[in-house]
Amino acid sequence: MKRIGLFVCWCGSNIGGVIDVPAVVQEASKFPGVVYATDYKYMCSEPGQETIIKAIKEHNLDRVVVASCTPRLHEPTFRKTLAKAGLNPYMFEMANIREQCTWVHSDEKENATTKAIALIKRALSKVSKVEPLYESYIPVTKKALVIGGGIAGMQVALDIADSGHEVILVEREPTIGGKMAMLDKTFPTLDCSA
Amino acid sequence: MVAAAQHPNIKLMTYSEVVDVSGYIGNFEVTIKQKARYVDHSKCTGCGTCFEKCPSKVPSAYDFGLGTRKAIYIDFPTAVPNKPVIDAENCRYFKTGKCGICKKICPTGAVDYEQKEELIQEKVGAIVMATGFDLFNWEEAYGEYGYGRFKDVISGLHFERMSNASGLTGGKIIRPSDGKEPKSVVFIKCVGSRDEAKGKEYCSRACCMYTAKHAHQVLDKIPGSSAYVFYMDVRTPGKAYDEFYRRTVEEGVQYIRGRVSKIYPSGDKLIVMGTDTLLGRPVEVEADLVVLATAMVPSKDSDKIAQLVSCPTDKDGFFQEAHPKLRPVETMTAGLFLAGACQGPKDIPDTVSQASGAAAKVCALLSHNELATDPMISQINEALCSGCLVCKGVCPYKAIEEKTITERVGGKPVERLVASVNTGLCQGCGNCTVACRAGAANLKGFTNDQVLAEVDALCR
Amino acid sequence: MSIDTKDFQPKIVGFTCNWCSYAGADLAGVSRMKYPSNIRVIRVPCSGRVNPQFVLRAFQKGADSVLVSG
Repeated sequence: MKRIGLFVCWCGSNIGGVIDVPAVVQEASKFPGVVYATDYKYMCSEPGQETIIKAIKEHNLDRVVVASCTPRLHEPTFRKTLAKAGLNPYMFEMANIREQCTWVHSDEKENATTKAIALIKRALSKVSKVEPLYESYIPVTKKALVIGGGIAGMQVALDIADSGHEVILVEREPTIGGKMAMLDKTFPTLDCSA
Repeated sequence: MVAAAQHPNIKLMTYSEVVDVSGYIGNFEVTIKQKARYVDHSKCTGCGTCFEKCPSKVPSAYDFGLGTRKAIYIDFPTAVPNKPVIDAENCRYFKTGKCGICKKICPTGAVDYEQKEELIQEKVGAIVMATGFDLFNWEEAYGEYGYGRFKDVISGLHFERMSNASGLTGGKIIRPSDGKEPKSVVFIKCVGSRDEAKGKEYCSRACCMYTAKHAHQVLDKIPGSSAYVFYMDVRTPGKAYDEFYRRTVEEGVQYIRGRVSKIYPSGDKLIVMGTDTLLGRPVEVEADLVVLATAMVPSKDSDKIAQLVSCPTDKDGFFQEAHPKLRPVETMTAGLFLAGACQGPKDIPDTVSQASGAAAKVCALLSHNELATDPMISQINEALCSGCLVCKGVCPYKAIEEKTITERVGGKPVERLVASVNTGLCQGCGNCTVACRAGAANLKGFTNDQVLAEVDALCR
Repeated sequence: MSIDTKDFQPKIVGFTCNWCSYAGADLAGVSRMKYPSNIRVIRVPCSGRVNPQFVLRAFQKGADSVLVSG
């Protein structure tokens, strides 16, 4: 049997000021498989993450849903949290109830609450189906290519080269320096550009 | 420049272009075309005898036609590498088959008319785009400034070539039309920048400062001269920038807030007509030279190189960073980074900072022996795969490969073709899963089952 | 249910690409834009991931419209 943990974030008043978070937690916790559900002011904060780790251990959770901001922001954060608690980091799903709910529907609070519940149920439904995933590894060729030999390209090439890596600096003109080499003194110090 | 050329870890390839890029982060394969220089740089000492004696003269594009160069040439005296190339289009030997003077007189025998362009393959782990900018072609857009008909209406970069001590005028500011020293110079800012009707919407960021510098140089180099700047706003958001601008104002540069509506010749002068919007009245300035602060635009052919490396561009053609605030030097293509004005108009301090930022990202990448790949990629269920390879055709990342497997059918081994996913190339778009009629391709992390469960949950 | 009903609220399922329109929907939030709350979004890695089967399933399960954006 799946053991899902659900964590709903207030994000201060960003989420908590619009939807009825306790009601959302109560409704969503009825979803099959949810064995633990709670809310917290800032889920991404250190105490917030500790809450998740503690719950995973105490309630023997095998997968987690965090309902908070967009996964484009904190998905990596919470994956690491899961890994810290000993779970596969991909046994995880987020419900975006901030960017795509409370921030855009702040003038229709009731509907926003209904929508948040729906979005969380979507995440719970998906997380019920996830399986552990494992990263694979690819080798790295320790050499860089810099395209363009103007001031930007030269600076990049020099910095990389100074760190001990090989660099190929490609310039389509016969000489490097780009536009900068054409310049006389440069502002604001009026030193030369060569 | 010399530092970059001499660094033992830098392989400098000038007169070269990247013509093909394949592979993925940590493992890019690039093909670089070394154009024919017709001079063997391993033999050339850069003595310069060849371009002293070369009989073909060409107007120097580098110096905006201010002077001439030879068909075998170096763009400027301190160039790196300081060795010439032959411009075959203008070389007498290539045009008529006669001449060959440079070959005869070269003391090291470096001139080689038979040299062919070469394709060089390299493997690299990271690519940095630093293709820079070009200047907006104002001659095509600004009729009020004469569409380039007036010789004494020039761009800021043209002005730089004159005021540069190593340029052809030796640092003397002159009128291109008659070589006389201008006494009255008018600068016009935002030519092509912040002008949706004729140019670009954006601010080119460096022009306010270099115009202040140019105006200062006019007053500094030409005794008794006057400098006028027509501007919309003065934007000086940089360390010590506003102080610099203030100083030029105190030196006597006259800033006039307003646009120029017309420039027309009158005798050997140019009359610049505009409006002073602070005083609310029209102004006319008699000028010997007009310098335009033209907008920065992406460098020529940067769209082609963007396509080669799959780098998205923004609405103006600049390369698109992964995130404007949080990932300004990265792109959506893993292992591809941006530096300088190819990402958007920038001045030198910002360019150098961004370049160092990109270098730090590259160093972080190259410090790993191995990279973990995103596991949310496609996988093929070989038992279901019919080997039709429709998936191969729809994959935008060339990540589907053919693979032969051996199965036991009726107790005998039978060889069969199936699709296989290259885990380094697959970016997890899932196009193959939709194309797969057998349902053999599935996307880890976004499996058919998982998405259907989401649909069901939302429709309930 | 008839669509003539004045207070008919369609149930809309959206499939949005993580890299563009999902990010765009996020941006709408960051910019505090407002839009009706009856769209529910499923994040996909690319609009090319949307199997027609997903769309049919949504209609089958009672969605009034489906938005695929990428």
